[in-house]
Amino acid sequence: MTSSCSTLPERDQPSTGELELTVARRGGVSHARHQFHRGALRILRPIHLDGSGQVCYTVVNPGGAFLGADHYRMDITVKEKASLLLTTQSATKVYRTPQGPATQDVRLVLGPGAILENIPDQLIIYRDGSYRQTTRVIMHPGASLVSAEVITPGWSPDGERFRYQELRLRTEVRVGDAHASRIFAIDQLRLEPGVDALDGVGQLEGHSHIGQLLVVDWRVDTELVDVVSGLCVQSGLRAGVSSIGITTDDGVRGLVVRSLGHRTEDVVHLHESVTNHVRHLWRGQGPLALRKY
Amino acid sequence: MLAMAQLTDSAVPTGAFSHSLGFETYLSRGEVDSAASFAEWLRMFVAQQLTFTDALAIRLAHGAAGFEEVADLDDLLTAQALPRQVREGQATMGQRLLSIAAENVPGPWLDDYRARVASGRLHAHPALVLAVVGRNVGQRVDDVVAQHLFATVVSLTQNAVRGIPLGQNAGQRVQGMARTWVLTAVERSATLTREDLGAISPGLEIAQMQHERQRARLFMS
Repeated sequence: MTSSCSTLPERDQPSTGELELTVARRGGVSHARHQFHRGALRILRPIHLDGSGQVCYTVVNPGGAFLGADHYRMDITVKEKASLLLTTQSATKVYRTPQGPATQDVRLVLGPGAILENIPDQLIIYRDGSYRQTTRVIMHPGASLVSAEVITPGWSPDGERFRYQELRLRTEVRVGDAHASRIFAIDQLRLEPGVDALDGVGQLEGHSHIGQLLVVDWRVDTELVDVVSGLCVQSGLRAGVSSIGITTDDGVRGLVVRSLGHRTEDVVHLHESVTNHVRHLWRGQGPLALRKY
Repeated sequence: MLAMAQLTDSAVPTGAFSHSLGFETYLSRGEVDSAASFAEWLRMFVAQQLTFTDALAIRLAHGAAGFEEVADLDDLLTAQALPRQVREGQATMGQRLLSIAAENVPGPWLDDYRARVASGRLHAHPALVLAVVGRNVGQRVDDVVAQHLFATVVSLTQNAVRGIPLGQNAGQRVQGMARTWVLTAVERSATLTREDLGAISPGLEIAQMQHERQRARLFMS
């Protein structure tokens, strides 16, 4: 269904931190055409990690953590044929939020042929913390998206693992542009330790770390899903992959990888192995070199 | 009431008998192997998928102001079902139920729904078909939710009886326990919003995805 896009993040809501970044390509190299930040969100100087022309921006939260009722907003646009690797300087930490959940609204807009790899560090949610993240992706059918999340429980004084209140991540991927788009896929994560026993069947099943990786690109096919399934098996994690989304004649395809494990680096390794595979397969680009682990 | 009874009867040929919706993965892992472990799985399934997907979808569609809202929900249900077998299974079952409903309990929106499914524009989902029928025959939304959820519980339990296997009496005892879980789901789903549609737990989704790769399978999902 084509509909006007009325789902942009609220701009009048007071924000703890705001970040806007528009990346465009000029002379084969991607660079920022527009950037703006306010409050507790900043970006480091851009770096070009390889010879592909891709620019890497690192998001920093100088405050160090998300607190109760904090509201963050990120608005990232990758213009035609530009390529952006977006990452963070360190883990996102959500501490106690007695004033209400910390929230983050993220908007990712990808133009024709645009490439976005969104590979933040892990999200750590501590005792009595609540966090809601809403991500809205609007992408051209010829764009390419990889987006990863790693979620871990924070330390709790009594040693119990899941003492946070609520964790909600919702990512909606639409195909089109700011004027007209259709729904493609919705990726959700909801954990409520107070309501559900998280160790139980169907929940985390004895694991502590969660991984989610979304790949949306017209070149996703059953062969790629098979390769990624092999990477899931090799990872040793409790992991699954499936093709996702509403397929229409605009040709957009996607896959999602979900995993449960015991260590951040294991989940990160699975995400990097999938990302590196599609980098090589689709662009002949070398592996991610974030050098964090 | 009888229209709903007809469409939610386990004899209605929607193909529900061939979908485990993930529990066969637990069966193959050896994690579901008895009436007790199946009951634990089923309780989770009712609290997760049936509450956040089916029950909520029925509520939203039952209260829809026009068919376009139902069509949007059909898109949302397809978009949020990430495991392929679940997405395809719900569409297959939904399409069969839609044909049976349009023929036997004709009413507003069903022909429109059927035409858009036939053209490939919509996919169909059993919960939406029942919500439309329930609305057409004046059935209260809580009752439609309860009937659909309990019908799903019955077909999953019958599948467990064959698949694990369990005795018929053990299956009946699980269904007896499940009545309470269904009523809890009816209540909880009333507190949810459209943004919650499909917000289920990761372990279940992984099991539903892994089912695609399972070697020996009794079920299609």
